[in-house]
Amino acid sequence: MSDSCLSATIAGITMANPLVAASGCYGYGFDYRHCIDPACWGAIVVKGTTLHPRLGNPPPRLVETPSGLLNAIGLQNPGIAYFLKYIRVRLPELGCPVLVNIAGETLDEYRRLAALLNGVDEVAGLEVNISCPNVKKGGISFGCDPALVYELVCRVREAYRGPLIVKLSLEAGNIVSVAEAATRAGADALSLINTIKGMVIDVQKRRPVLGNSTGGLSGPALRPLAVRAVWEVSQAVSVPVIGMGGIMQAEDALQFILAGSAAVAIGTANFVNPAVPKEICDGLKRYLADNGFTHYRELIGLARPGS
Amino acid sequence: MHPNSDFMHRCELVDLTRVAQGCFRLKLYAPALTGAEPGQFVHLRAGSSTDPLLRRPFSIHYVDQKAGEIWLLIRVVGPATSALSRLRPGAELDLLGPLGNTFPAREEAAAAMLVAGGIGLAPLYFLARRRLEAGLAFDLLLGGAEGSSLPGDAFFDCAGLKPMLATEDGSRGFKGTVVDLLKQRLESGEKPSRIHACGPVPMLARVVDLGKIYAVPVHISLESLMACAVGACLGCVFPFKINGMLEYRRVCRDGPVFNGEEAHFNFV
Repeated sequence: MSDSCLSATIAGITMANPLVAASGCYGYGFDYRHCIDPACWGAIVVKGTTLHPRLGNPPPRLVETPSGLLNAIGLQNPGIAYFLKYIRVRLPELGCPVLVNIAGETLDEYRRLAALLNGVDEVAGLEVNISCPNVKKGGISFGCDPALVYELVCRVREAYRGPLIVKLSLEAGNIVSVAEAATRAGADALSLINTIKGMVIDVQKRRPVLGNSTGGLSGPALRPLAVRAVWEVSQAVSVPVIGMGGIMQAEDALQFILAGSAAVAIGTANFVNPAVPKEICDGLKRYLADNGFTHYRELIGLARPGS
Repeated sequence: MHPNSDFMHRCELVDLTRVAQGCFRLKLYAPALTGAEPGQFVHLRAGSSTDPLLRRPFSIHYVDQKAGEIWLLIRVVGPATSALSRLRPGAELDLLGPLGNTFPAREEAAAAMLVAGGIGLAPLYFLARRRLEAGLAFDLLLGGAEGSSLPGDAFFDCAGLKPMLATEDGSRGFKGTVVDLLKQRLESGEKPSRIHACGPVPMLARVVDLGKIYAVPVHISLESLMACAVGACLGCVFPFKINGMLEYRRVCRDGPVFNGEEAHFNFV
């Protein structure tokens, strides 16, 4: 199969394939260059960026769980001014569209971040992070209330003219209501799901393992929850859904696409296998060829009743 | 070697030997990795299932350039290291590397002191052999809880190394910790050019304190659970105090070897 069988357009962003490097797992896109060409991605979403530099959470920041990983990085990043001055100019080297994940502590911080990134040519779009479980202010505290999500996305929408993606959490018990609110406010696409808050206790020390006590769960352990979330949200909204949660191989990506994802994001799997985007692209092409499809978009939502 | 990649390798396990209680030496045929320097590490996958999920970082224990081998020294602490210890020669291992920085390689007239606690021996053995090969003076100090937790004499003899041992139960060498042994040496007037240390964090904190008291620069090699090991995820950080400001640095990319004086041990 030719490469064109995987071409995608999400929120107006033209991508060579529907694979997206998930925010927080790929730095600014440069760290894996010795292992794999970043241009093999459909798009890269860079590390969550805040208005001011953030130190992040005290270590330990990671603990492994059965088929999963809890992390509590706490949005360590050098801030938007540093990003615009030093990182922005290097992004074209990556060879694929780059989105910036923005996280604020207040509605106004989200608006200011969006305004600062508006019209920045090197940035293909924004992913609005209203679902980080590891920060005290902002993050998930915004993401659970549909009215607040509507207000927040409206303000970002007014400040930013380019493609706007909103990243949702399953912690919002009403993820469909939150998704509808984000869409009404002008989101061009939705990405889901962010990690889910969890904890591991060290029984010898009788204390939580993580410096932040809690962390966000990622990896294969999360996958069935994420597939279900994509299934529900993609039927409720008309904008494309970027599905993520424990995708390790082509078969996992196919589950998300068949559930209704127009694209899929890959995070934790990069830590295990840096060649994962290339392997999943190859696997998707094989599946298309073996099953008589000509383009992956024919598979989107195909598992739904009546499809 | 993985196609189109400098850092992704598939290597054959050539030899696996138990060298102490719960401690194994792996020799891997990896000609592409023989340019590695002391201090660097590899990120190794312990199986192909999702549990254990992440790779595990291991210091490079030695590079045998003639044989095209890299060696790893592994202490069994959990399911991943346990699985590695049960491998048979011929097994293929998936690893990333060489990663991280190196011990500073400045040639010094005065002897360097290499201070290892337990499995902290792994990178310092490599450094010791490189110094030996280059004719640079050094002392290797190695501590463990008990004699059986440390490799036997033959392990060091065949490399031409003569470590000074310290065991807490006194069963081999000096009775006490390796920090007690270091303190005794410094108190007796020895003045090493620098100290290179690797071991548990509380041990490293005490070595750095001694270095400050006796005005000897200390380089520490840190251990941390890692996810990416290439600098992307910020999961493996350790606190440092730089110009009075707290800063989290990546053990994988900014280290694993750091200036000990800058490490913010009190914060941990």
